[in-house]
Amino acid sequence: MRRVTGFLALATATALLAAGCGGGTSASGSGDTGAPVNGGILRAGIPGNPDHLDPALSYTNEGWEILEATNNGLLTFKKASGGAGATVVPDIASAMPKVTDGGKTYTFHVRPGVMFSAPVSREVKPSDVKFSIERLFRVDSGGVGFYTGIVGADSYAKTRKGGISGIVANDKAMTITFHLTQPDGTFNDYIATPFAFALPKGTPDKDISTIPQWRVATGPYRITSYVPHQSITIRRNPTFKSWTPDTPDGHLDGIDVQIGVTPEQSVNEIADGQLDWYFESVPPDRLTQLKAQYPKQVYPFVRNNITYFFMNERKYPFNKLDVRKAVNYAIDRNALVKIYGGQGTPTENIIPPGLGTAYKKHNLYPYNLAKAKQLIQQAGVAGAAVTVWGHNTDPTPSAVQYLAGVLNQIGLKATVKTFDESVYWDTIATQKGDPQIGFTDWNQDYPEGQDFIDVALNGEHIVNVGNNDLTNTNIPAYNKMIDQAKRMPLGDARNAIWAKLDYLYMKNDAAWAPFMNRQWPKYVSPHLHGLVFNGNYFELFPSMYLTQ
Amino acid sequence: MIDSPPVAAGGFRTALRRLRRNPAAIVSAIVLLTIVFACFPGAPLWVSHACNHGPSDQNIQGTITENGHKVPVVRNDGTPIGPGLRACYLLGADSNGRDLFVRILYGGRISLEVGFISAIVCVTVALVLGILSAYAGGMTDSAISRLLDLIWSFPVYLLAVALATAFAVHGIAVGPIHVASTSLAIPIVVIAIVYVPYVARPIRGQVLSLRRMEFIEAAVASGAGPVKIMLAELLPNVASMALVFLTLIVATNILTEAALSFLGVGVPLLTPSWGNIIEQGYQTIVTAPWLTIAPGLAIMITVVSLNVLGDALRDALDPHARLRIRN
Amino acid sequence: MVRLLLGRLAGLVAVLVAISVMVFVIFNVIPGGDPALRLAGRHPTQQNIRQIRHDWGFDQPLYTQYFDMMNHLFIERDLISYQDQTPVLPAIRRGIPRTLSLAIGAALIWMIFGITIGVLSGLYQGRWLDRVLTVVALAGVSIPIFWLGAVLLYLLTYKYHSWPVFSWIPPGGYVPFTQDPAGWATHLFLPWITLAVVSIGFYARVVRNSLLDTRHQDYVRTAKAKGLSPHRVLVRHTLRTCLIPVVTLFGLDFGAVVGGTVILIEPIFGLEGVGQYAQESVAHLDLPPLMALTLYGAFFVVFFNMLADLTYLWLDPRSRTT
Repeated sequence: MRRVTGFLALATATALLAAGCGGGTSASGSGDTGAPVNGGILRAGIPGNPDHLDPALSYTNEGWEILEATNNGLLTFKKASGGAGATVVPDIASAMPKVTDGGKTYTFHVRPGVMFSAPVSREVKPSDVKFSIERLFRVDSGGVGFYTGIVGADSYAKTRKGGISGIVANDKAMTITFHLTQPDGTFNDYIATPFAFALPKGTPDKDISTIPQWRVATGPYRITSYVPHQSITIRRNPTFKSWTPDTPDGHLDGIDVQIGVTPEQSVNEIADGQLDWYFESVPPDRLTQLKAQYPKQVYPFVRNNITYFFMNERKYPFNKLDVRKAVNYAIDRNALVKIYGGQGTPTENIIPPGLGTAYKKHNLYPYNLAKAKQLIQQAGVAGAAVTVWGHNTDPTPSAVQYLAGVLNQIGLKATVKTFDESVYWDTIATQKGDPQIGFTDWNQDYPEGQDFIDVALNGEHIVNVGNNDLTNTNIPAYNKMIDQAKRMPLGDARNAIWAKLDYLYMKNDAAWAPFMNRQWPKYVSPHLHGLVFNGNYFELFPSMYLTQ
Repeated sequence: MIDSPPVAAGGFRTALRRLRRNPAAIVSAIVLLTIVFACFPGAPLWVSHACNHGPSDQNIQGTITENGHKVPVVRNDGTPIGPGLRACYLLGADSNGRDLFVRILYGGRISLEVGFISAIVCVTVALVLGILSAYAGGMTDSAISRLLDLIWSFPVYLLAVALATAFAVHGIAVGPIHVASTSLAIPIVVIAIVYVPYVARPIRGQVLSLRRMEFIEAAVASGAGPVKIMLAELLPNVASMALVFLTLIVATNILTEAALSFLGVGVPLLTPSWGNIIEQGYQTIVTAPWLTIAPGLAIMITVVSLNVLGDALRDALDPHARLRIRN
Repeated sequence: MVRLLLGRLAGLVAVLVAISVMVFVIFNVIPGGDPALRLAGRHPTQQNIRQIRHDWGFDQPLYTQYFDMMNHLFIERDLISYQDQTPVLPAIRRGIPRTLSLAIGAALIWMIFGITIGVLSGLYQGRWLDRVLTVVALAGVSIPIFWLGAVLLYLLTYKYHSWPVFSWIPPGGYVPFTQDPAGWATHLFLPWITLAVVSIGFYARVVRNSLLDTRHQDYVRTAKAKGLSPHRVLVRHTLRTCLIPVVTLFGLDFGAVVGGTVILIEPIFGLEGVGQYAQESVAHLDLPPLMALTLYGAFFVVFFNMLADLTYLWLDPRSRTT
């Protein structure tokens, strides 16, 4: 069945807008004729509930898209598309933090006059930020992993008492200081994710998604009502006054989100003029027709994504390097892109091209079926039984069947096993789940090589439950290189290490068979303009505007 | 309630004669035989003689020549080629560039196998439970009846999906028996379990009424043991009912296989079955509707034939054998 | 009669308890079903996973977890789902009118058409109409219902949507009756047809056979002998009796539709009723809504079966003795 689930992957940077509409970093839309117009209510549709509308708990595109418009943190990713959207800029903080102590201390000045909406109706204080980060640990947030590098966070996770000693808030001086256990080049990115958005002290230690009085906004919009399985209503936040050009006021008067609209339905309703915008991308089978019929209403959003097959180095026959290389030779990446309706670019790299100098294209495994067969013979594993795992969201089942077919061609005995997407990711992240080989993809949490190489390949992170190193790759020499890069400041030197590791892992380990950087085509109403696709917060509601 | 025993062993000849006079039964039998022939010996023959594509052979990058033009099997936007009068891709291709016609032939094998084997398992288990329950009576009867009630009250698809999902990761491990999670045995077992009560209950009723009849009492008086009575006296007398049920349950099970595959917990992908061909085809119904429509028609024709045949068998063998399953 | 009723009610409760235990056990042996991991997100820390297990009570013995869930379901009535932590009972309450709209509408269609066709078929026994209807009846029960829905949806709302006869059919979704009665009916039109088609033929057959049985009963012959008009005999005597088995069957079927079949239909048409909620919960291995929904489904199956049995007893006094 086609079912679009919540935990679809997270964001990315580069949004190259449709070739026909011109690329670039400014807001651009179909028939974008001049200045944005204010007013109007956007009619939006979403297939199911967003996971949460609590910044501490939401960890999906849907949630972040909405929270970007309603809440703010000390820092923000620049509200722009393309590479510019990967830059971290001040938001509630008046400037970028002062980094001292060899990269272990970050000091922020909080901008006065940023207001929480009613019923709290007061200024945001540094202690609110401290409270919000501590709250993550008390509500079992999925985002705590970003903040465990703060001094005292580990013990606070266990005791939940006395606060995190490494966060020092001074409400009089309007400063907040973070002390880290070791330098971390991406700490600013963590501070810009919605997990670190400021909530007022006193927010209860439970999901506030359905508690209206605690859904307190700081941004241009606020959520006025949320009825799960039915609707989300978003209106202008009357207390909002733009404090920086990076957090502008919105054009729309509000957004009415209808929950439970299927992808097929969305296409029909947008075409019939009953809907303006839909959270998910176009169903692949409708794309060709839509592009032909409404060329100005289809946008191919590109995110920092890598779609690949993983091979578990702990499981026979993929414990043999030759077998892993054989798989890399055996898959025809162009054929796989066709399975995705042409919505992607073939790749052999681990790091997506949107990450600047961290991406250095290599081409180690040109399609070569004969060589793959020979490697399988050489490894002496011909006839080995292999189960290829995948989830059931279209077109992944076709992709895993393609892989299984190819494995059978090169001399293995492959079967396929699919799960619903909502349980798939957890199942493969458990050693007990025991996949030999399977489909997976990774979309950035923040635009940096670390989010790909360190998260998915550093053997120091291997755990039994909640394991992101699906291949169980553990090469001590490379682990060391990763740890070294992580302590370096962002920039070309650091990127060069990621690019080198990308090459080394593919050449000497080959536990990944990367095949595509995926695109997400989007179809919207002809009246909707000002579409800006940010790699981290996705489409920005405040930039959108409606014309007649 | 005194009643003559239903058609027993000797009566099958009479029944066959009645069947032969029923044109609908003959037509449906011919249709079924044709389908079975096409799927079993026919499928490899087609592959070796008409078009050399196996059911899992993918050809995404391939082309075929039509009217002197080279046509891609799968276009760059992922749209596969449609039906046309040609040896290869008679009904078109799917998004992996596989031949739909060949997949339907091979898929029929799996659907028929799953339907038939699970029906045999189901009817066998139902016979054992039904006869045992009615003959033993007392605690055994209560225990079995309550178990049947329980399975019966469970909404069919929820039960089937719950069981299938439970077995999905590690398969079934009962003592020394281990069934792999991708094995066909899992949908077979699941489908068999959910319909046991529908068959066991009428069989139990039939045995209950048989027990009071003279020939059973005579057998008991002559000193026959319970096992002998159940096997030699009761079983032949419920055989005609079981045969009618078997035909109808095969039909139901083919539909259930399709529904479970459609919900994503039926026959594992890669091995085509009519159900999972529909499930995959439905994803692209707009660009490639035949991928959904053709296997559905195959199911419909097969199930109609089985139902007509089952109906005729009932009229001929045992008009009391009523079975109603709500899908 | 009262004792019988009480006995049946006790049985109903016992079955529901047993089913709830069964569901609970099945879902606790599924590896992918570990909700703690789902709650812990993409970068889970081991400490966080442990903490979630503790906070949600997943580290408690199974029987404690079971009673806890039953408590939240029946007494506190604040059960929440693992998938998105939204309350379960309001979601079900919201789904019920949708599911009932679907089931009742379809039931009306299949009963009206089924009885009409059945009576016609019985009156013209053995003629071509009868034969055609027999085949159509069997064809109806032989269609995979989800496939019929999918194909109708494709043909009428996409492929031939531009034809004026079909252009009013919306591509799925639901509109409440209170908000727009016409929209409610147009949105439910295709689901109704889909659900009814598989039953019309079957009911026609039942009515036909029952009519034929009844026509040869003594009292009908007596009525005829007394010189009553054939029309009066049909309406007064035959029809009333021959509808008894139909009522019983209807009870079973309606329970099964509301408690089960909707799981296949609603997702196709995006009706977001109880069936779609069940389909989503089972796909997400989301135990709390699944528990509530299974009990809901089983309740309908058992309750309507009980109702059918009692109606049968009431309509047909002969059966009381056996």
